[in-house]
Amino acid sequence: MNIKILDSWLREYVKTKASSQKIGELLSLSSVSVERIEAHATDFIYDIEVTTNRPDLMSIVGIARETATILKQNGIPAEFIPLKLTKPQTPKKELIEIKSEPKLVNRLCAVVMEVEIKDSPREIKDRLEASGTRSLNNLIDVTNYVMKVTGHPTHVFDFDRLNAKTLTIREAKKGETIQTLDEKEYSLNGGEIVAVNDKNEIVDLLGIMGLSNSIVTEKTKRILYFINNNEPNRIRKASMSLGIRTEAAVINEKNLDRELSYDALLYGIQLYKEIANGEIVSDIIDIYPNKIGKKTVQVTFKKVDKVIGVKIDPQKAERALLDLGFMTKIIGDKLEVEVPSFRIGDVEIEEDIIEEIARIYGYHNLPSVLPAQTQITAHKFANDYYWEKRVKQAMKYWEFTETYTYSMVSEGMFEGPLEEAVEIKNPLNEDFVYLRKTIVPSLLKVITDNKSQEEIKIFEIANVYNKRPRDLPEEILTFAGVIKRNKVSFYEVKGIIEQLGSDLGIKNLTFKESQKTGNGASLYLEQEYLGEIEILDTNLIDFELNFTVLLKHATLKQEYKPLSKFPSVVEDLSIVVADDVKTEDLILNIKSQSDLISRVSLKDSYKDSRTFHIEYQDPEKNLTNEEVSKIREKIISSLKTAFHASVR
Amino acid sequence: MDEDLIGIKNSAISLILQAEDLKELEELKLQFLGRSGKLTLALKEITKIPVEKRKEFGILANEVKQTVEDTIKEKEIGLKKISKTVIRQKIDVTNPGIKPLLGHLHLVTQAIEEITTIFESVGFEKVRYPEVEWDWYAFGALNFPENHPARDDWETFFIKTEPDPKRGPMLLAPHTSGGQIREMERKQKPPIRMLNIAKCYRRQSDISHTPMFHQFEGLVVDKDITITNLKGTLDYFAKSFFGPQRKARIRPYHFQFTEPSFEVDVTCGVCLGTGCKLCKAGWLEMGGAGMVHPNVLKAGGIDPDTHTGFAFGWGVERVLMMREDLKIDDIRLLYSNNLDFLQQF
Repeated sequence: MNIKILDSWLREYVKTKASSQKIGELLSLSSVSVERIEAHATDFIYDIEVTTNRPDLMSIVGIARETATILKQNGIPAEFIPLKLTKPQTPKKELIEIKSEPKLVNRLCAVVMEVEIKDSPREIKDRLEASGTRSLNNLIDVTNYVMKVTGHPTHVFDFDRLNAKTLTIREAKKGETIQTLDEKEYSLNGGEIVAVNDKNEIVDLLGIMGLSNSIVTEKTKRILYFINNNEPNRIRKASMSLGIRTEAAVINEKNLDRELSYDALLYGIQLYKEIANGEIVSDIIDIYPNKIGKKTVQVTFKKVDKVIGVKIDPQKAERALLDLGFMTKIIGDKLEVEVPSFRIGDVEIEEDIIEEIARIYGYHNLPSVLPAQTQITAHKFANDYYWEKRVKQAMKYWEFTETYTYSMVSEGMFEGPLEEAVEIKNPLNEDFVYLRKTIVPSLLKVITDNKSQEEIKIFEIANVYNKRPRDLPEEILTFAGVIKRNKVSFYEVKGIIEQLGSDLGIKNLTFKESQKTGNGASLYLEQEYLGEIEILDTNLIDFELNFTVLLKHATLKQEYKPLSKFPSVVEDLSIVVADDVKTEDLILNIKSQSDLISRVSLKDSYKDSRTFHIEYQDPEKNLTNEEVSKIREKIISSLKTAFHASVR
Repeated sequence: MDEDLIGIKNSAISLILQAEDLKELEELKLQFLGRSGKLTLALKEITKIPVEKRKEFGILANEVKQTVEDTIKEKEIGLKKISKTVIRQKIDVTNPGIKPLLGHLHLVTQAIEEITTIFESVGFEKVRYPEVEWDWYAFGALNFPENHPARDDWETFFIKTEPDPKRGPMLLAPHTSGGQIREMERKQKPPIRMLNIAKCYRRQSDISHTPMFHQFEGLVVDKDITITNLKGTLDYFAKSFFGPQRKARIRPYHFQFTEPSFEVDVTCGVCLGTGCKLCKAGWLEMGGAGMVHPNVLKAGGIDPDTHTGFAFGWGVERVLMMREDLKIDDIRLLYSNNLDFLQQF
């Protein structure tokens, strides 16, 4: 969340000669991030990001306190000037009764005033507008002005329009409707904090936004100035589900200081007196069921130094904490710190105190030191990431483009029965509902999304998700690819996988006719199912492999085979054989005819004829022609018997 | 006679050495060694020489012949070599080359490679933890209060299934920080130097968010780990990844699972720190970091009284886009899978 503050406004609460540039720079380094400093006439506007744990800094007073502390630690004179408030005299008169519940509201302060509605003075208008809040009239402006200065949201009702002798704070029921001050209708979900009048009409959506039936108008004469410190989770839930993200809601959903509620009341009364001729006509109502207790945290200076990494001067550390509003006590080596009410929600343990000390000391003043290696651990070179990288590199040099598609898919892109799908309960839209079980559909979508490219080779390595009962889904690293090209061949895809296998040191890859897809191959690695090659069309082939199976078998181990001293004899043998005979069976048959056959491969196939490239080699001596021709005869007769093959 | 032979030898050698091509050499060969070549004829003169001198003449004649033949042979080899370069390809050096096939790795892969190498070089061990996680790892063990907004339906994706009685609802990991707990459980005891790079998911989609993205998470736990060590590590990363001209800083921030917590900034690549419209007063936010919260160490089974640690978790896409040379201004491009885009890299 961000807050914009005029430099001159800030300087009402911090007295210093430091330039706004210097203030911005030091705040960023030690406190809140000043994202921008804009010139504004003769003034400057700080645009500041405040972290969610520090709602106290969504205020000028809070930023001023930090500014003074940090400037001082950096040797620049500065003084924090807190808001000075006094309790006014009030008539002992009760004009309205407020009933509330401790589970809904931590504290509630209110007062009735007679006022005069008009424009705010120039300075107040300027300051509000510079901080991004539109000036409307003095009655509304006071509520925003108080919020900017103190950090506590406040609200103002037209007292007479409320029609309430009793204002009851309660939980909304599902289906109750409201109209917010910007005249939008909402149906409530139930559980929101609302205020109702004597007729049980909802007159406020607490902590989020005022309603059109109770806000001040030009005719307003009496106001109920109303400060409510609410149960933050209800505000968050209501604001998010209704989609009303006002500044008040964003602040109210944090853990807001309850002590501050009363300050906000007093400051508002003061302002109404000053700019709306305000006069208090009722006693002050202060319902405070959930009081906060005292909280102390202890830390040793030894621990401070150990975490920060340099020696910290205890006096300087204590000074910083005092300036930040903590009470401190040094007991031997220990520092005992009492947490101020505005930090109760955020300071819990010694590390929180160390953080305060360290940031005010300045992280930029700390040295940079790489952590020491305290133990020798072997570096595993060929780990899973190594193989993944190696495969990706190979694919790149084989002309594939790598894609990153979403793990979540639509119903239409999910392959398999939906009850097997890992389903997202709160999807962003219908394109991202199920965790995919296969990658190919996503790749095919990339193909259709890139119609202008006639030839496409893409691949991806990503997880797929297998649902398991009462457990996290199994995440299986999967490797998939698609080739789109006119007349693309099955053997091209098979060749890529074979070649990858050999690069990974994998033997025993087998290809069987696919049981799954009908047109393609199922792949196995030593009996384990690896995946599929699937022919989708004459111009479209995909593959999808279980990458974890490949990883299991990938190896860098290599063994040297002695080079042969004697040359091999090489010849081609063409045979005619029925086309349902598998090449692999023919090769196995040929090989089994003699130990002297060192290599057999299919060189060519055309119509009913296949040509095999056969290499004969004897490691002991030169082979003679007679020896080779004897083996050849054996091969031919064996192929004839086994496969009815004839020599061409 | 001897003088004649020497003269023939000298003139032959000088002519042979001067020959410019194989054709000329062939002619010279004929001129001296051919059937009616000068040297052949001179050798035939042996019959005219007195018998007692023939032996001496014979030795000299053979030597001369041998020398001429050798010179021709050597010259021939030389000329053959030259002739290869002499027969020149007709080329236009400005014509395009015949390129070997080349594909493209995704930018995210390229960034992950770099990040991995940078951290492995200082002893980090790369791991990968589940993308579908239990609330316990993603939030509970990381010290998130029960009602923290990150646990809302608005920010995190939840899986439609029964919650685990101990580990809570099942969800898509909104960050890689759950890996901190898993790594502590795996290692059992420090020292730990983890680099966890994985996909993460959040319910957001705009110019700087995609519902799926990648983070890299560092975790170092040991006996004396300090804020200065965190600063050293991120300075090392920023210098390695962005180059020496960029500076890094840490400033106060807030996270549930670290205390103290930091936001890490790197100087803007466009203005190099002077401030421009693309950055925040000269700085770009890289991501969060901090000293591991004692409750997180406890959840991971490590005693916070004896050990400290730091952790950081940054977006891969984010650091990639912060590079000054890349100039990608919409993260969604990275996941558009527009091939014209992917094939630029």
